[in-house]
Amino acid sequence: MLQILENSAHVHLLLNHVPTVGFGIGLLIFLAGLVAKSDVLKRTSLVIFFLVAVVAIATYVSGNAAEAVLTGTGRADFPPGVSPAAIRVHEDAALLAFALMEVTGFFAWLALWQWRRVSAATPLAGWNLPIVLVLSLVTFGLMARAAELGGHITHPEIRVGGLRQGDVIQSFNGQPVTSEDGLRAMTAAAAAGSMANVGIVRDGKPETVAVELVDAAAAEKRAARTTDAASLGVRLIEPLTQELAAQYGLKPGAEGLMVAQVHEQGPQGPADTGTARAIGLWVTSVTWVWPTAETLHFVGLCMLFTVVVIVDLRMLGMIRSVPYSAVYQLLPIGMLGFGLNLITGILFFLGVPAQYVKNPVFYWKMVFVVLGGVNILYFMLVDEAWSVGAGEDAPFAAKVAAASAIFIWAAVLFCGHMLPFIGNSF
Amino acid sequence: MEILRALESSGFSIWVRESGSLWSFPGILLVHTYGMGIMVGLILAVDLSILGLVPALPLAPLQKFFPIVWTAFWLNAITGTILLAADATTKLRNPDFGVKMAFIVLAVINQRMIQKRLFGDTPSTTNGKALAWASIACWLGAITAGRLLAYVGGGVK
Repeated sequence: MLQILENSAHVHLLLNHVPTVGFGIGLLIFLAGLVAKSDVLKRTSLVIFFLVAVVAIATYVSGNAAEAVLTGTGRADFPPGVSPAAIRVHEDAALLAFALMEVTGFFAWLALWQWRRVSAATPLAGWNLPIVLVLSLVTFGLMARAAELGGHITHPEIRVGGLRQGDVIQSFNGQPVTSEDGLRAMTAAAAAGSMANVGIVRDGKPETVAVELVDAAAAEKRAARTTDAASLGVRLIEPLTQELAAQYGLKPGAEGLMVAQVHEQGPQGPADTGTARAIGLWVTSVTWVWPTAETLHFVGLCMLFTVVVIVDLRMLGMIRSVPYSAVYQLLPIGMLGFGLNLITGILFFLGVPAQYVKNPVFYWKMVFVVLGGVNILYFMLVDEAWSVGAGEDAPFAAKVAAASAIFIWAAVLFCGHMLPFIGNSF
Repeated sequence: MEILRALESSGFSIWVRESGSLWSFPGILLVHTYGMGIMVGLILAVDLSILGLVPALPLAPLQKFFPIVWTAFWLNAITGTILLAADATTKLRNPDFGVKMAFIVLAVINQRMIQKRLFGDTPSTTNGKALAWASIACWLGAITAGRLLAYVGGGVK
């Protein structure tokens, strides 16, 4: 379990290149298709947009798991170079880009669906292609911004919020630190949210780190006799004993304050503001939101199952008198149901991210959702599925794809249902 | 009331409610959810087809799915009864449970009328669209009331 959490930061770093790079490639192919008036290129780009939008779901949720690793749920310290404020800014940018990307993916899918519905021979055209163009341009810009802001989270030369347990603070903005009261007076005079250069000794080596000051805790404010004091957000050991100095590799006689503990951001701290957190708070604090979203999640499930049952059972041999092109018309119902469940699902996720990122069943659910996205493409793009006429038996590959679809969506439902029972979600 | 309490404290009900096994409450509720997805999913396709939203899809062949619809319905009647027995005193005193049952009774009557009128020996489309809308409304009501059982009136969730 811990391994999943440890790896998820790496998973996010790996997955987050898919939306940015994939979308860039898709956009280039789309523009090339428009210039060259090539339907093959346009269609290829629509497929890329759709697939990238599906993978982006996993990317977005893996971001919160990465955050849980970086900000150390259950740990007292922030690793060096990680700023909760930078994570918050990146998260909000990513949420906006993600929302736009899902809308783009939906319209790209709809354009693909319409093209096939009319006829495989008709050129790809439609009212939604300009929509896809505008949406994909905006999404790409927002993605690039989110990616750039994400890069700020850990950057060796920025080293924001870099205090760690065991650091010995020796100076604050160039002023020597000799006592906790003296340091408190210096931080209290600065503003919360501003940056300070803190001279420290870490692992026996002196260095300077930039630290974002946070709003001081109530006790610190009382001690400083002010109501708007800033603080380093750490608990200090004073005085620094010779044993501790020796243990942390300091020169004999060195002075300073040792960091005993780095406080986690409280509910009012910078890590708990921003759009994503505000939506999450709305979901969990307004009584009717969660039950309503749950109900809609079940309605979406039924709409998705309409397609799963009818289309896939047709391929497997039921209602053989109906051609594939007829059941194909049901596909948007399933896609709307999926969209409803994506929106309500993201609301649950924003409400209580921690209960999902620590839950292995949730990872399996995301894996199956991505597989479901790949699976649907078979039923849209492959001619052998499309050419199954009235009274005809579907080819073997179509039966395999249909059986896989039933398995995949049953598995998505299974994982979602088991979240509270195998994991700890509600 | 005595009989409900006896039902609730039977060995089987206690196992369902308290064993912690994935085969008990979680597994039975899972089957109930699969049944709902399959039954309402199929009924929705028929309703949308009656409403003319999927013009290329002919209505008549869809009756081949009715045996699956009723199998899923009886599966849910059984799993629903087990879930009810495990929590009889609370659920039967919860007005929301009555609302759910009322919607299901109406939906079943409505579904039988759809099958008789639109798929019978002499199919007629009289009031077909009204029946289709009523079907969608009843199942939506049943799903909503059912989902809300976890949030109102207490008891096992």
